[in-house]
Amino acid sequence: MSVYAMVKDTSVTEAVKAALTKLISQDLVDAVLVAAKSPYSALPMPTLFANAEAMDGIDPLAPAAPFNAARQAATVSRQATGKRLALVLRPCEIRALIELVKLNQCTLENVVLIGIECLGRMENEVFLRHAAAQGDVTAEFLKNTSLQDDITRTCKMCEQFEPAHADIVMSTLGMAENSVLFASGSETGEALLKELGLSPAEKPAERETVTKQLLEKRAAFKKEVFAETSEKINSIEKFEEMIGTCLNCYNCRQACPVCYCKECVFLTDVFSARPETLLRRAQKRGSVKLPTDTSMFHLTRLSHIAHACVGCGQCSSVCPSNIPVADIFTTVAAQVQARYDYVPGRDVQEPIPYLMFEEKQKSGEPK
Amino acid sequence: MVKSMSDFQPKIIALVCNWCTYTAADLAGTSRLSYPANIRMIRMMCTGMIDPKYILKAFLDGADGVFIGGCHPGDCHYINGNLKFKKRMAGMEAIIKQFGFDENRLRLRWIGASEGPEFQHNMTDFIQTIQDMGPSPAQGIMVL
Repeated sequence: MSVYAMVKDTSVTEAVKAALTKLISQDLVDAVLVAAKSPYSALPMPTLFANAEAMDGIDPLAPAAPFNAARQAATVSRQATGKRLALVLRPCEIRALIELVKLNQCTLENVVLIGIECLGRMENEVFLRHAAAQGDVTAEFLKNTSLQDDITRTCKMCEQFEPAHADIVMSTLGMAENSVLFASGSETGEALLKELGLSPAEKPAERETVTKQLLEKRAAFKKEVFAETSEKINSIEKFEEMIGTCLNCYNCRQACPVCYCKECVFLTDVFSARPETLLRRAQKRGSVKLPTDTSMFHLTRLSHIAHACVGCGQCSSVCPSNIPVADIFTTVAAQVQARYDYVPGRDVQEPIPYLMFEEKQKSGEPK
Repeated sequence: MVKSMSDFQPKIIALVCNWCTYTAADLAGTSRLSYPANIRMIRMMCTGMIDPKYILKAFLDGADGVFIGGCHPGDCHYINGNLKFKKRMAGMEAIIKQFGFDENRLRLRWIGASEGPEFQHNMTDFIQTIQDMGPSPAQGIMVL
């Protein structure tokens, strides 16, 4: 059973701040990683705080995330330091972080995961436009449903807006204005909530209805996108049309939280063709488009990480050619994950499908 | 330009394990067992080292089929490389299928070192399957 607590302040951002600063001021954790505005931009960036007074700009519920912060979270939790860390993350970031734990990129030892109920993020320029027009986008976003239509295409199809696996979940759906609900998701979370001394609360009754409505809306859109995309890439020729403007900038790979290799094969000699190779290929086929191996890049990335794709949509957001990379990846990933009955980020104990095979298998034909 | 079905000669890449299928191919050769010459064989140290990108590269460069030959379960020289590869197959099949390649263009079979006739049979059968399927959809188009 979860324990619930509520914080009400002058705005949701203030309410979140009131609770999170206590984590440090009451010495419950040594540091908090949370998205915060800098003095230079309204765009919240993951920031590591060790001092409660410095946490003035934190804004984890802002509908913006310039990147999936799982990588930054993995950077600060790469090894256990003996210090206690709180990581405030979106659901897709937590899912990616869990995949990174399985890949031995970081550890959750001495880490408190604080998940936010995420109603979506806007593209950076959309968020900045709203921020310029009205100061507190976060407050406006949470109460104004028309603003919620400005979230990214991938967020609109996300059904996992409730963080799984978090010790504490912060949510606003169905809550009164300017108040945030804190729910425990584990014993650690329960103990922390008690120590924080927040006022106990009941789960608001309308939460269930609102959540269900949102879930239905998201599921319907997801189905639509999957059907549309799967039709658009059902032949290699159509796929080439989709990626025809790809520059091989590899931004999508850089933005991908689960594409974790330190040295990507596409940056090695394997894919840096020598001039004579290029000439030979051109002679053989009549022409070679440069840079080469664009299809290879996308398909290889798919074959390497489709099982772990958490559907954060950052690949689409960073594409300079506006290729719907996330549409392609989420569509194919859903099929691959279905074959392995695997859901990335579902359970930190659940092994990666490629590492699970039957040692004692009957001999004979492998199908 | 697609040739008519009858004179279509499939190009098939076979990625085979050094310890079993490659040896079986050798045995088939010394036993004078013949099969059509549509197979381009690449010797690997183990099917467990087959990165999905090797298969993708073959398909994108116009291979009509990809055959993978490994050791029978329990016989892997590296304990379980063959089973690791088998696990990768399901994902690969889903991916190539979504992009318009018949998933039967990719085939995995276990062929032991002593199974020369099985090697011959498997090659003949796979070539026939691909022959019936016709050229790969990546043939004759510009692949970026």
